[in-house]
Amino acid sequence: MAQVDLSRIEVREANELIRKCGEDGENVDVLNPDARHHIGVGLTSPITVRVHGSAGYFCAGLTDGARFEVENNAGWGLADNIYNGTVVVGGNAGAIAGVAIRGAEVVIKGNMGSRAGQVMKAGTLLCCGNANFMAGYMMYGGRIIILGDSGERIGEDMSAGDIYVAGNVQSLGSDAELTDLPADELDDIRTFLDTHKIPFRGTFQKVQNAGQKLRYGSAEPQVRSIPFFSFSGKTDYWNSKVQEDVYIKSQIGRYRIRGYGGARVLPHMTDLAFRKTIRPDLADADIAKQVEMETEIGGINGANPLKLSMPVMVAPMSYGALSASTKRAIGLASTLSGIAENTGEGGMSNAQRDAAEQLIFQCLGGRLGWNIHDMKRADGLEIYISQGAKPGLGGQLMAKKVTPELAAIRGIPAGIDLRSPSRHPDILGADDLVIKVQEFREATGYKLPVSVKLGAGRVRDDIKIATKDEFDFVELDGMQGSTGAGSAEVLEYVGIPTLAAIIEAIDALEEIEARDKIQIVLMGGFRDGIDAVKSLCLGADAVAFGTAAIVAGGCIACMQCHIGQCVTGIATQDPEHEARYKPDLESQNIHRFFESVRWQMAAITQGLGYTDVRQLSRDDLVALTPEAAAITGLPYEPEHRDETEAFAIKAS
Amino acid sequence: MSEVYTLNRIDIPDTPPDYEDHARERHYVPAPCQVACPVGTDAPSYIGFIWEEKWEEAFEAITATNPFSSICGRVCDAPCEPACRRTQSDGALAIRNLKRTVMDQLGKDYVPPAVPVTQKQTVGIVGAGPAGLTAAHDLAVAGFEVHVYEMSDRPGGMMVWGIPGFRCPASVIEEDMNRLFAKCPGIKVHLNCGLGDGVTLDELKERHDAVLLTIGAWWGKPMGIDGEDDDRVVDGVSFLRRINAGERPELPETVVVIGGGDVAMDACRSALRMPGCEKVIVVYRRGPDEIPAREDELVGAIKEEIEFAYNTQQVSVEVHGNGLALQCVKTEAGEPDGDGRRRPVVLEGSEHDIECGMVIAAVGQTAASTHLADHGLMGSDRVDTSWESMQTSDPKVFAAGDGAFGGSTIVMAMNHGQRAAYYVKQALAGIEAPLPYRTPYRTRRVPLAQDIMWERFPRQDQEFHGVGENPAEFPEIESGYDLETAKAEAARCYRCDAETGSADYSVLHREDIFSMARTNPLDVNKNRAMLEKRLAPRDNPFPEGRSGTLDDLCFLPANLSRLVIDPYREACKVSTDIAGKMDIAQPFFVAGFDGVPDQVWNGLCSGLKAAQCGYIGGRNPGDGVDWLQMLDGSTAGDAKARGIIHGFGSESGRAAERTSEDQLLGIAVSRAQDVADAVKQALDDGCDFLLLDGTGGLGREDWAELAGAPDLSIIRNAIHTLREMKREEHIDLIWYGGARSGTDAAKLIGLGAKAIAYGIPVALSIGGQITHDHGIAFAADRSDEDRAGAVENILKAHAGEASMMARCTGKTNLMNLEPEDMRAITIATADATAIPLVGKH
Repeated sequence: MAQVDLSRIEVREANELIRKCGEDGENVDVLNPDARHHIGVGLTSPITVRVHGSAGYFCAGLTDGARFEVENNAGWGLADNIYNGTVVVGGNAGAIAGVAIRGAEVVIKGNMGSRAGQVMKAGTLLCCGNANFMAGYMMYGGRIIILGDSGERIGEDMSAGDIYVAGNVQSLGSDAELTDLPADELDDIRTFLDTHKIPFRGTFQKVQNAGQKLRYGSAEPQVRSIPFFSFSGKTDYWNSKVQEDVYIKSQIGRYRIRGYGGARVLPHMTDLAFRKTIRPDLADADIAKQVEMETEIGGINGANPLKLSMPVMVAPMSYGALSASTKRAIGLASTLSGIAENTGEGGMSNAQRDAAEQLIFQCLGGRLGWNIHDMKRADGLEIYISQGAKPGLGGQLMAKKVTPELAAIRGIPAGIDLRSPSRHPDILGADDLVIKVQEFREATGYKLPVSVKLGAGRVRDDIKIATKDEFDFVELDGMQGSTGAGSAEVLEYVGIPTLAAIIEAIDALEEIEARDKIQIVLMGGFRDGIDAVKSLCLGADAVAFGTAAIVAGGCIACMQCHIGQCVTGIATQDPEHEARYKPDLESQNIHRFFESVRWQMAAITQGLGYTDVRQLSRDDLVALTPEAAAITGLPYEPEHRDETEAFAIKAS
Repeated sequence: MSEVYTLNRIDIPDTPPDYEDHARERHYVPAPCQVACPVGTDAPSYIGFIWEEKWEEAFEAITATNPFSSICGRVCDAPCEPACRRTQSDGALAIRNLKRTVMDQLGKDYVPPAVPVTQKQTVGIVGAGPAGLTAAHDLAVAGFEVHVYEMSDRPGGMMVWGIPGFRCPASVIEEDMNRLFAKCPGIKVHLNCGLGDGVTLDELKERHDAVLLTIGAWWGKPMGIDGEDDDRVVDGVSFLRRINAGERPELPETVVVIGGGDVAMDACRSALRMPGCEKVIVVYRRGPDEIPAREDELVGAIKEEIEFAYNTQQVSVEVHGNGLALQCVKTEAGEPDGDGRRRPVVLEGSEHDIECGMVIAAVGQTAASTHLADHGLMGSDRVDTSWESMQTSDPKVFAAGDGAFGGSTIVMAMNHGQRAAYYVKQALAGIEAPLPYRTPYRTRRVPLAQDIMWERFPRQDQEFHGVGENPAEFPEIESGYDLETAKAEAARCYRCDAETGSADYSVLHREDIFSMARTNPLDVNKNRAMLEKRLAPRDNPFPEGRSGTLDDLCFLPANLSRLVIDPYREACKVSTDIAGKMDIAQPFFVAGFDGVPDQVWNGLCSGLKAAQCGYIGGRNPGDGVDWLQMLDGSTAGDAKARGIIHGFGSESGRAAERTSEDQLLGIAVSRAQDVADAVKQALDDGCDFLLLDGTGGLGREDWAELAGAPDLSIIRNAIHTLREMKREEHIDLIWYGGARSGTDAAKLIGLGAKAIAYGIPVALSIGGQITHDHGIAFAADRSDEDRAGAVENILKAHAGEASMMARCTGKTNLMNLEPEDMRAITIATADATAIPLVGKH
């Protein structure tokens, strides 16, 4: 029996010792815990950890197989995301006890705080006292047993799972209903109580999902998209797109949904030009070897950085929105081109891990597919706050795409219209966020970069918070970013253009003299090496391509991703459609696209007179439109437009 | 598929003069099928027309570059199909058969409009095959009179003499010919008039301003093996010529066909249909993956149970009793040779005999003309011709087709014909160094097929009949599509040519990305050309004169600085009130329907009642709907109205009045310059609200919103005035004009409006159609209940959208949206709304 004394050492060191004990199979006593956060986080060995006192946030979080015994109380996020094992708390637990658990037995002898078991997938959460409001909020599976009373709105928006209440149910949540308790379930509960030596012989009411909100009502009529120029950038106010929207909404009575990003024209990188005329005819075949492009992302706070052969990444896109074959193709391409890939929402499959040499693992509010084992085999961890296409909205995955395989990896019931929560259960503000970031670092021994994905909105404020919360880098996504499905109006009108996002980010960081405190990976509507170089000039450390990589791999931009019947087998989970996609062939295409981006970036960098992409600066750019000039503060020099065109004609 | 993504796709050569070409247009990129087609057929357009059942338009799209729509609809080798991007997923579009459908639907008697002769010069063409007639077509369309000299008794060349009737019946060929000559009366055909015996080259040069030789490659090449002089050994083209002349010779039981090309396929399938023939064996020296025959033909032959002896090379022919023995060896694939194909290598000790009664050698064709040889125009087996100018050594004499460049396909011969016609025209115009010819790419900008099954439909196969009951009568092997099948197939088209719905991934961007993904990283020329192309800036999307618009406002989402409100689950209040006196379920009214027919009005009013939405206008919507009555100067306030609205300035000097204490009172203002005065008057008169009319025409014109974008400066000025007076809280603003969605409503609320009055979106919802003269037409196509339901739905959807915007910004009450929640993305919009521009401070 080992001892760690938190009055003598920091939690970080203690956790390392606990994990070491775990490897050795030795139980641990934690002395003087004094409600410190993150005790035991990341432990994946079947040992017993006894906390002699009270634990702070996320005690036993992100663990698998261990037994935790907390003598007194536990703070919020008890047993966060635990896989298997047992957690017993002698006193009370704070809010969101058992958040996102994927198994295990969590026993709280006293009361538990609000939103207990939020987005849990499996396992049992037992509260011997009373539960505060919204227990079982958005739960996808498993069971919650409450021996005392439950607070308001129990089972709010639960998709599946069971909640048993022995005391009073104050009120039911949205889409929750009370039912009789089947006898076999009562037996199961009693067996569980006996196992934990809880002497309770009363009976229960059962709360379950009422099934009213799992699917959208009437289906949205499917139509193929109208060419963008017929509704955008023109003065035709009541154009065909407006009319189509009205017709459809008047039939379905709700907002429309579609795939892809904003459809209309927005100020973008193409409204800038290089101050110096670039001469493609002077660039050598092997120019990429002549320009220094290797870039490290994520190492500024001591983690092992991602090592990119050029300042380029793949933007986060989920298995779910995309087929497994497509994720495989993108992963393979990222490896071939020496850049990083990202899981997006919805978990990491072995196939993704095997295909991508460097893989960022993304954590969303629904904690779909999130778990300690995949965290440990990731090369970076990312907290998704929002995305450029639909900031403020959670992911949407229509039932057609929620197959049994996909549901299994995400830990949810199959066949529901999955509308992911748009907020994390345990991140309600900047102060929570920093503790969450630390939890991730604790769980993975401070080795992995932790990043934040932000849809561009109030960038000035948001990036300052991200910096203060000690993220290693931010993936900043302008409103041109795409999605597999989102409200059409949000895609079009929420967020700010990528061009403005980077300007505001750099401005804000310079204001607080913190430009070196965080790295920026910019994304949202990039299509080539030119967009990439302009982003670097404006201050980004790297860029990411999402849709362009998909297009390179065969997407025809029909914008019907949300339907789930993608004709090319990309945005689908239908096996017949997925069989149309040839990952080995398309990975080569995607790889060549990235190589083309590389060549372009190198040619421009050299054309501007540099040998290293880090020499690029704002001074290399001018604005071609009044909007671009006003947004960026770059000089308005429309005459550069003529130079480029004149050269283009001459050279052809 | 890769060959259509060449450098030419990125660095498009100039178009030849006088050709209609859209390849450089912003919203169009030629589709891979069009680029793969040697004559640049605008396949996506005709496929789109087929879906729309616009048969004449489809015919025009096809025949603009291809006078032989019916023939090619059956027998073209269709290089478009392997290039089709859907090949990779669930099978290429059946582009060829769709072409056939057009003629099946139009009917054989369809006569296209005729093109008159307008030029003085004439052209003589020798040979009425696909190359000659295509050139004749192009020249005739350009206004020249063209004389075509044909040695046989009918026009068509190899289309007639090379292709057996079971693939393309003679009647179909005749139809195409008739349509060609009907379209081009300037084409004069002289049949039974061979070069040398019928007409001499000198005579042609004398009669015409230019001469084009399209003499074909009529003669089979010898195999060069022992025993091939036996009269039971024949060449493929000669054999087919006999069959196509109508002969049905009795053949021996077993026939061997040597070769793997299209002639071999036609010969083997024709032989099988002859009386006496029981078995046909095709001998090919390479493997099944390398056989050059078009897949359709190969599959057809296999279905007809023709045997294939692959990796088998003929050595000699010997007489064996009454029959023949073809002595062969087996081969295997060796090293790739010059054309990249693997050379067959003979396997030692693999000698074997194939017993048969007849050998048909289809190992290549050659051209021959002693007359031309006498003039010194012949090379070894073809007319000596420059590809760059299509000229022979005689500057007045041009040549094209198989006779000039060796045996090929019908569609390649047609490409030659077009090319030759171009250089002939240039020469006739006296241009000595013309721009190099390039196949022009046109689009007819056909909308996408709106069939929701387009992603799911599998390739629609034609019904295959094989040899049929009476093989020697050559019944057609395949049926065309019926209408339904044709439309299903047409719906499958990806429409690679068409502009996308996304500005950031427009067709141009998408195709460039596609090309980048098909560029060898070491191909410096392609990389350079692509970079150059990508460096070209776009036009300013927000040119001067574009006014400030709601479109160019965006909302700032909650992220870290604010807590987001879950739009799927968490509540956001949308109900509000006007002046604290009138509760409304959502911040909407409907306005501007005073003049609609009663039926429409009844449906509207029931919908409003169900949606608890008030009406603004001169007409009383009846019980259960709150009515804000607009006075037009002549009408008096109605005691039944929930509120009364006076037009600003219409009763100058008089104060606005209620008819009763509890009625609401408002003033409507329509012009930005009146706003300050109207605000002051409204406050003086004790009004509850101001109705801001962004259209300038509410109550005076029907459907005033259709005039265009509303004038947003009206609300800006109203807020400005109220703020200056520090009386923002003293009056509510109701906005009318140009609100199209819940998002527009949310923006207007953010700008300071309390409620939004919808017009056009509600009119469209209940079946209104916008007319050309800025009106709305209603048809009697739906019931009151349908209309009421649609009103409810559109208001519900818009309330949902508006609240979604509020939640995205972190608000739990729609009314809490404020200017600070928005940014403008254009300078004009920032000016019009006083909302700051994104980006730099």
